[in-house]
Amino acid sequence: MTATAVLRPATTAPRAVTRATGESRLVRWTLIGTALVFLTLVLVLPLVTVFHQALAKGLPAYLEAIGEPDALSAAKLTLLIAGIAVPLNLIFGIAAAWCISKFEFRGKNVLITLIDLPFAVSPVISGMIFVLLFGAHGWFGEWLSEHDIQIIFAVPGMVLATTFITAPFIARELIPLMQEQGSEEEEAAIVLGASGWQTFFRVTLPNIKWGLLYGLILCNARAMGEFGAVSVVSGHIRGETNTLPLHVEILYNEYAFAASFAVASVLTLLAFVTLALKTFVEWQQRRTAAEAAGAEDISERIAS
Amino acid sequence: MSIEVRNLSKRFGSFVALDNVNLDVPGGELVALLGPSGSGKTTLLRIIAGLEPADTGVIRFEGEDTTEQPVRERQVGFVFQHYALFRHMSVFENIAFGLRVRPRAVRPSEAEIRDTVMNLLRLVQLEALGKRRPSELSGGQRQRVALARALAVKPKVLLLDEPFGALDAKVRKELRRWLRRLHEEVHVTSVFVTHDQEEALEVSDRVVIMNEGRVEQSGTPEEVYERPATPFVYGFLGDVNLFHGRIERGLVKVGASELEAPPEWADARDQDAVAYVRTYDVELTPSSNGRSSIEATVRHVRAFGPVVRLELDRIDDGSSIEAHLPRAHYEQLAVGKGQRVFVSPTSVTVFAQSDGGKSARSA
Repeated sequence: MTATAVLRPATTAPRAVTRATGESRLVRWTLIGTALVFLTLVLVLPLVTVFHQALAKGLPAYLEAIGEPDALSAAKLTLLIAGIAVPLNLIFGIAAAWCISKFEFRGKNVLITLIDLPFAVSPVISGMIFVLLFGAHGWFGEWLSEHDIQIIFAVPGMVLATTFITAPFIARELIPLMQEQGSEEEEAAIVLGASGWQTFFRVTLPNIKWGLLYGLILCNARAMGEFGAVSVVSGHIRGETNTLPLHVEILYNEYAFAASFAVASVLTLLAFVTLALKTFVEWQQRRTAAEAAGAEDISERIAS
Repeated sequence: MSIEVRNLSKRFGSFVALDNVNLDVPGGELVALLGPSGSGKTTLLRIIAGLEPADTGVIRFEGEDTTEQPVRERQVGFVFQHYALFRHMSVFENIAFGLRVRPRAVRPSEAEIRDTVMNLLRLVQLEALGKRRPSELSGGQRQRVALARALAVKPKVLLLDEPFGALDAKVRKELRRWLRRLHEEVHVTSVFVTHDQEEALEVSDRVVIMNEGRVEQSGTPEEVYERPATPFVYGFLGDVNLFHGRIERGLVKVGASELEAPPEWADARDQDAVAYVRTYDVELTPSSNGRSSIEATVRHVRAFGPVVRLELDRIDDGSSIEAHLPRAHYEQLAVGKGQRVFVSPTSVTVFAQSDGGKSARSA
């Protein structure tokens, strides 16, 4: 096609060759322009503002805001909550994905739907659920106060709320992956004499590691950044039940803008790290897939 | 190690996968489970392996009941249709897997594992490829790795599910000869599932033909091919022409013709019957052979190779007949498209058709 086009005598008027799905220049630039303006307004500008505001009073003020004891304790609590919620969801995610992808049972679709529930419910409602359950006037409230256990307006409630909010990430990532891989390799391992754990650690886990890591990264990002649900169950006690996102809000409400944005910039940097990791893992996943597919092609040619 | 299967049944919901199956695999033999898809052959293989529980029935290895034994203790080697190689491990590690997962007390040393794996790699002619990933191998090579991996644990029995199903025709042919030779070397009791009759007949010591969850016939390739026990087996093994008619006193009346039935039908009462004639068990003549020949016209001739295949249309009812002739005969006959010939079956097998019931057999 191209060859004939090139060889065509110069006398014929050059015709603009457009693909069937191509658009005129005007339409293209309008679309691209709209997208760029939108991205600038919605993504780039806020990001720039965060750092601009954070550094408005200079670097020393910025460092001081981050190094302040309340900020540090908020950071510590954020890490603690993520440190509990993420491993819990790691176990839950793998177990749920395992059940759904390797076994047939009644209520499978109900389980899949339930896993999505935290995505469907507004985070504030998620927080409310726990207040209704464990709060002073909640279902278990009386029993809890009798035994002097505090869940709401304390760290356990925040861990619960965060775990609930972040429950779908890992399971959602693993289910399609494990469904696609099927269970033949596991069967092969068991026939060869491997125990359940050996099969899991030697066969299943290596096959899902990139997907798992991807889910972990997203789960962690959300666990650290969660605001709504945690805000409802937190009680906002400075230095005790404040996470980084909550701390940002408090500072902002106190008109400490520079400090507020300084802490916000820490969370933003965390987002950048997350994105970088996510991109790397995606690239790894694609590479592994491409390798397998490419080798498949070659082997087919060798075979024939 | 012999395998006995007794009264095995298995349902999936309302689908009957296996219906009271009995099977004997003598130790050291290579047996083919042959049948169309949905005949239950793979289910049977998976139940023997322990990958699937049976609803009722018993499996015995060398007389010992293994029905309730967990898969990992059964010591079977299983080769999956799509190989199921561990994709993240090298070929070497794939083969070594079964040895490495053993409890410490019975696990061979690293040197022993190495020796075993290298020996197996030699056996399956892949010495140089130990470091490769499964994705870097051709289909045939992957299949051989899967086989080596299964053999590494010194299985009591080797079970292969459509071992050549995913390969192209040429590799298939090579690999099945190779499997035959390998079996002569290793001599482990082996059962393989296939839907390819040629494969089953060429490779195995014994063929078990399955249909709709039941065993139709089991025997040596010669037995099942030469003396099919049921119409299904007749139709499934090799090309065959069916002539529907009535049998009475040793003669099958097909349209205007009368075919001679085997001697045991000499006293048969008048009843519906089907005469089965292999495509190569016919003679074509330009003129009538009396009442035992059927008149037909030539619809199509495929005249390449040593055997010439003719498609014929019967004059009386228009149904088609396929005839395979040696090239020399065809050239003598000198007929072409649209010409008239007379078809005389030289060997007829008759199955009576009682009303809806099972067909009685005679050859």
